[in-house]
Amino acid sequence: MSRLLGLVVAASLLASPLCGQDSLIVRLRSHADSLLGSWREAQKLADVADSLEQVRATAGSDTIAVGGLRIVVNPSPLPWRRAAELAWPVIDSLYGSAAEDLPQHPYIFRAVDPDSGVRRAVLHVGVEVPWDLDLRATSTVLLTTVTAPHVDPALAAWLGAALRPTLRPQDERAVVFVLLVTAPSEAVRRCFLGDIARCKDVLQVGDSTGLLARWYLTPAEREALVTEAFTHYFARGATAPSLQRCRQHHDDACTALLQSLPPGTLPRPLAQAAGILLVREALRLGGRDAYRRLVARPSAPIGERLASAAGMDIDSLVVRWRNDVRAARPKPLALPWWASFAAMGWTAFFGLCALRSSRWRL
Amino acid sequence: MSDAIHIERLHYRVGKAFEIKELDLHVPTGSIYGFLGPNGSGKTTTIRLILGLLRPLSGRITVLGDPMPEQHARILGRVGYVPEQPHLDATLTVRELIAFQAAFYPRWDRARAEELVARFELDGDQLFGRLSKGQKAKVMILLALAQCGDLLVLDEPTDGLDPVVRRDILSALITYVSERGATIFISSHLVHELERVCDWVAVMDDGRLITEAPMEKLKQGTKRLVVMGAPAEIVNPPFRVLTRERTNGGGAGENWVVGDWEPGMTSYFEGVGASVRDVIDLDLEDGFVELLRSFRKGGTRR
Amino acid sequence: MIAMFRAVLYSQWKWSRLIVVLGTVAAFAIPLLSLQGAARADRGALQTQDLLRAVQSWGTLYPLLATALGLLMAMAAWAADHRGRHIHALTLPLARWRYVLLRFGAGFVLLAAPIAAVLIGSSLAVLTATLPPGLQAYPIALAVRFAFAVFVAYAVFFAVSAGTARTAGIILGVIAAAVFVQVVASIANLDVNLFAAAQTVLLLGPGPLAVFTGRWMLVDV
Repeated sequence: MSRLLGLVVAASLLASPLCGQDSLIVRLRSHADSLLGSWREAQKLADVADSLEQVRATAGSDTIAVGGLRIVVNPSPLPWRRAAELAWPVIDSLYGSAAEDLPQHPYIFRAVDPDSGVRRAVLHVGVEVPWDLDLRATSTVLLTTVTAPHVDPALAAWLGAALRPTLRPQDERAVVFVLLVTAPSEAVRRCFLGDIARCKDVLQVGDSTGLLARWYLTPAEREALVTEAFTHYFARGATAPSLQRCRQHHDDACTALLQSLPPGTLPRPLAQAAGILLVREALRLGGRDAYRRLVARPSAPIGERLASAAGMDIDSLVVRWRNDVRAARPKPLALPWWASFAAMGWTAFFGLCALRSSRWRL
Repeated sequence: MSDAIHIERLHYRVGKAFEIKELDLHVPTGSIYGFLGPNGSGKTTTIRLILGLLRPLSGRITVLGDPMPEQHARILGRVGYVPEQPHLDATLTVRELIAFQAAFYPRWDRARAEELVARFELDGDQLFGRLSKGQKAKVMILLALAQCGDLLVLDEPTDGLDPVVRRDILSALITYVSERGATIFISSHLVHELERVCDWVAVMDDGRLITEAPMEKLKQGTKRLVVMGAPAEIVNPPFRVLTRERTNGGGAGENWVVGDWEPGMTSYFEGVGASVRDVIDLDLEDGFVELLRSFRKGGTRR
Repeated sequence: MIAMFRAVLYSQWKWSRLIVVLGTVAAFAIPLLSLQGAARADRGALQTQDLLRAVQSWGTLYPLLATALGLLMAMAAWAADHRGRHIHALTLPLARWRYVLLRFGAGFVLLAAPIAAVLIGSSLAVLTATLPPGLQAYPIALAVRFAFAVFVAYAVFFAVSAGTARTAGIILGVIAAAVFVQVVASIANLDVNLFAAAQTVLLLGPGPLAVFTGRWMLVDV
């Protein structure tokens, strides 16, 4: 009997915290439900606010449709249609068939008077542009505003920048040419001279292990990298003695310091323009569906994705890329032809002024 | 006889300070023409107008038959000029200056230039800037003579030079004139010097030409007269009265300085009831001084 | 006329020989000094940027040398005449404009020496240097640009030196007027910037000083 009583007492004693736990869960659950409800309300309100803002921003505006591009603009002197006609072929050539998705995302622009001091309503939706831009500048606004049809974080991380259409791809090739020639990296130089494996290394489309040894081949480069880019970083604490040794041309110290950097912080020997150009090259070679193929497998290695987009193996793509860059040597810094005539003209002009030197000077 | 230099009604002004007005001047061809005047009278300005270095306001200048300044380039090819101040590049040697000058004158006489270098005892390799004043004057004369021009214009060429240098220069000029028959226009305020060489003389003061005449006529024609009993006013004398003053010591006698005097003019005084007690010759310097004094008192050129 | 030109050339050479000699030496030396980093064997990829930086730094001396040569030669051309108040020149048997043309031309002939020195110096520097791959040398373009700069500078300063005191006064008066207008505009808070406008006209586009601006690169991508 006593045993039974003890059991009942023990059970009741055990049950009381369990009963308390139940009520806590219930309380937490109801709190979460309440928060969820608030969030849903807020979301609805935000959606309503967005749609109201959209209505406000587009009130009195025109919609211009050129190809797959939809832009909503207020009346202004800006040449939107001609700019769109200039920009659309460039957008279409970059994104190919994926550009057909663009109409789902109309772009709102509001032209404003840049010289006016009149207070105007803040635009939460769309982009404000000054209305004194010329055709080229307006086209550039479109090209820099229109985003890719699909967000691709892995590609953006590899590129280090957004992939945007450009009116002057030749300029990009010239920039990359200069990068290949002037980059303080032996690996880049070998790429310029034709070592495709080095090109893949510096573009990071090949084997991504052991990047330090792949990117910075010589002790001088490693020392320069440490002493120029990371002096302040390594100057304190435990790394200070190694920094000192590195400055005294001890390569092991320099290498150790660079290997101690957090992942992803080792500076690339080639700037992002080179990678962007490689992607453009792949999309150009791959035809209209190249972009869709590029973004089809976001988790795949970049090299494979680019090869898939281009429709060829990565080595061939890199070869094509390098050849295009080598063919795009920038024009030398010679005087333009008109400057020569201008100089001769001014010489003759001042010479004539001198010839009019007066006889009457006593 | 034609004129080497012919100036008609020349008018030139610089600011309000100085003016040449209504200047008429005629330098006969082949003459040695002395241009006298005190400092600041306008001699150098007139020379610069003759050479086309200054532009007149009005009037006509003809040099060697061509108008100046319109034909200045052609005229200057036949004119040798020696300015008052050395105008040559001090950083060139004598030989280099000769070579430079020779390039511009087609009639350049190389032999004459060499001869003058020797005659003037000049060092051909000496820089012009390092020469003495006399040597510089000799170089300038040398260059002017070697050009073999038809006209030499010399602006106070012997001013400040020692007598030996002056004599060398004047002797070279006379030799040149006798050989070539050129015209020399020489300005100076050293009257005695001009008296020896010039056959024409003009006197200038304050931008005006006081007189212009053959040297002999000016010298012979300028006299000092001691006149007794002359009336206060005289009418139409055949000579030019430059000055008239009472003699020292009182009395009825007067000292007259006259120009354009000729023998036999004493009869004029008899006609007006006066008499000439003495006729005194004046040299060029005295005559020059009296001319200036007369002009400054308000006398006019005849 | 040829004999006159030779006489003028000789006298001008005498006045300006030190300028010509020093200018020629400098014009010969600058390209060699700018590429001294490349005279050694290739030091690797690090060399390229260092070399381009060195070439660009030394390159700033070309327009300065061109300006200095133009100024000094123009001054030398007229110094003796100014000392003698132009009397000798004005009494020579040729028109004033011909005389000025002789002086102008003589200056150009003498300036050929430093221009040739730039060409020879830069060609020699390029021949003895080991350029990193991808870089090219432009000795002829550099020498041509230097020639234009020298000629423009010489012509400008020659014209100023040939002017009378009245001309110089007019030029200075215009500059003073511009300064005065700028000061008044600043006080009155007006948006007037004459000097910026002058800078744009002179330095950009087909302005007289456009040839001096920009980078002077013997070696570039």
